[in-house]
Amino acid sequence: MSLTIEMLFPEVANLHGDNANIAYLAQCRPDARIVRTGLTDTPEFVSGRPDLVYLGPLTEQGQLKAIQRLKPHRKRIDDLIESGTSFLFTHNALEVFGTRIRNDEMGYDEPGVGVFQLEATLKMFGRYNGKVIGRVPEVAVDAPVVGYKSQFSMVTASDEVPGFLTADRGIGRNTTTAVEGVRRNNFIGTSLIGPLLVMNPHFTRALLGRLDPDSEPVLAHERLAVQAYEARLTDFGDDRRWHPFERVQSR
Amino acid sequence: MRLLLTIWAVKLSVFALRALGRQGTHVPGLIARKLHPGIIGAVRHPARVVVVTGTNGKTTVSNLLAEALEAQGLRVASNRNGSNLAAGVATTLIGAVTWTGRPKADIAVMEMDERSAKLILPGLVPDLLVCMNLTRDSIKRNAHPAYIAWIISSALPERTSLVLNADDLIAASLGGESNPRTYFAVDRLPTDGDRPSGAAVDVAICPVCDHSLDWEYWRFNHIGKVRCPACGFRSPAAAYRALDIDAANGRVTLELDGESHPARLINGNIVNVYNEIAVAAALGRLGVPKDRIVAAFERLEPPTTRFATEMVGDVQLVRLLTKGLVGVACSRAFEYLASFRGRKAVVLNIDEVSERVTDVENTAWTYDADYEYLADDSLGQIVVGGVRRHDQALRLAIAGVDPARILTVESETAAADLIELDGADEVFNLHSVHNALITGNPVQKRLRARLQEHA
Repeated sequence: MSLTIEMLFPEVANLHGDNANIAYLAQCRPDARIVRTGLTDTPEFVSGRPDLVYLGPLTEQGQLKAIQRLKPHRKRIDDLIESGTSFLFTHNALEVFGTRIRNDEMGYDEPGVGVFQLEATLKMFGRYNGKVIGRVPEVAVDAPVVGYKSQFSMVTASDEVPGFLTADRGIGRNTTTAVEGVRRNNFIGTSLIGPLLVMNPHFTRALLGRLDPDSEPVLAHERLAVQAYEARLTDFGDDRRWHPFERVQSR
Repeated sequence: MRLLLTIWAVKLSVFALRALGRQGTHVPGLIARKLHPGIIGAVRHPARVVVVTGTNGKTTVSNLLAEALEAQGLRVASNRNGSNLAAGVATTLIGAVTWTGRPKADIAVMEMDERSAKLILPGLVPDLLVCMNLTRDSIKRNAHPAYIAWIISSALPERTSLVLNADDLIAASLGGESNPRTYFAVDRLPTDGDRPSGAAVDVAICPVCDHSLDWEYWRFNHIGKVRCPACGFRSPAAAYRALDIDAANGRVTLELDGESHPARLINGNIVNVYNEIAVAAALGRLGVPKDRIVAAFERLEPPTTRFATEMVGDVQLVRLLTKGLVGVACSRAFEYLASFRGRKAVVLNIDEVSERVTDVENTAWTYDADYEYLADDSLGQIVVGGVRRHDQALRLAIAGVDPARILTVESETAAADLIELDGADEVFNLHSVHNALITGNPVQKRLRARLQEHA
């Protein structure tokens, strides 16, 4: 089967090199149809059923625009997630689907699309930068997901909302939890950048397998991707490279 | 009295540091801000204060501007030899007053780190602020250009006049309705395109109606001239423009607030064309007569530290500063490399030095850089050195560079030994800022020696 991947609002959701998540998937699956949905377009998922819906990192104003454009489709989004459509939302894109984004310095406190019970609080002069490593069910325990956080926001959600991963090192949704991101059925939301799919070839292979169970997943530039992953994994195992602010703090 | 004590403490510390062979531009400012947190606003300023900021070009423009104003006979205080953070500004301001606190300069020209606006602008209250551009910079520190624009605008005094780049819609958006504004631009060039490409395009939709913009010309990143086909929004009109650029003969036409003047082109690189027209606009706003603005460019020379070329036998050896962690800066370096027409061999060492041992570099920035410029058959081999060589190799492959042409090696300097020089017309030494001395210099030396043996 041919894959259809919908990128939401790439003209504003394109920070931190994260659109390479989709560029890389497109190289792994050259037959994939990439649909780039602009802010003023009706999303493909409203009437169709893409195999993957992707939203990448946005500016603060971009987040608010995305919420405005996606809110009318809340019911359809819920239905797609419940019926198993795959979503990947990276960096602050997850916050768009939350219940609230509060940004005191920029002077707004806005409701999100409301798909997930989570709130984001931004500190515009307290950007957090750090590393994360943690296991995910998609891949073997010896191939954990690695990534980075570089963000103004911290997210709070009930611990009952399942995370994308639980960090072995590094923080999760905020500095007091190791639970990182959100997953529901095949929806994955994570604040990790890198880009995630380029940096984690084993996870990407698993994702490709889920998107198209009838085809053997093939990774573009597999040798180089695995070399880069293994080198980073080794470095992430070095205690000297971890800092106190990357530890989960007690509540 | 606190102010005077601070002035004396700073002047003495500058004297002591210089006696020890140090520049004494940052530490005295730290002392000043410790003794008197409001020092930037408390110390008496020269009669006029100009701030130059932006992602790229602020150092060159503030230096050129200071030089041009000195040539007008003015006593200029500037931080050209020091820090562009709040401490550096404080040191410079104190250096521009007597021991009793009286101003001894006619005008201050301050380069300002754009991220430091909140600490500098409210006290400094500049008469004029020049913003060259706001493009993507460090992901960790600067996040995205709209964030930096927000920081500057939030700190900008209402009475400050603005000199802004009309070709950069983010920089052009600075300030509020009360700020008088003048725009500069560079007219369409033969090399410009009609639609944006590349990884880091931060203006794609109309700020009024969200519709996709049309481009009258697109230059790089989000630099160019736009109009909205849906609501009619357009890039602001520029009163100061550079046009008819003749790099071969070093000439340009400067449109100066309604008057057209042929002038010397200080440098043919597009970055320096923007620098020249920005200096012209700032001088114009400061009331310098137009003929004297044009005459100033006969003498001004921009620094050319970002690249250097030399011929070794028949081969051109090119050293190119390729600022790691900043994708946009790397894109410009790669674009420049791609403009060479011969067969190329490239040594690439752009790991961040500070994160080699005590951290693990976040290489997300490499996907904000257009490595695609390197995906060309004229590139015979690229040797990548450093800790994050595998990430760089993967990025190159994703960009379309044939993996068979990519070689990785842990030692940065060993890359200069491994690069295949046979058949190369041009050999490139690409390094970052922080490894310029420890890697850039030895690689250059080794490449030169090998090319000499080869010749």
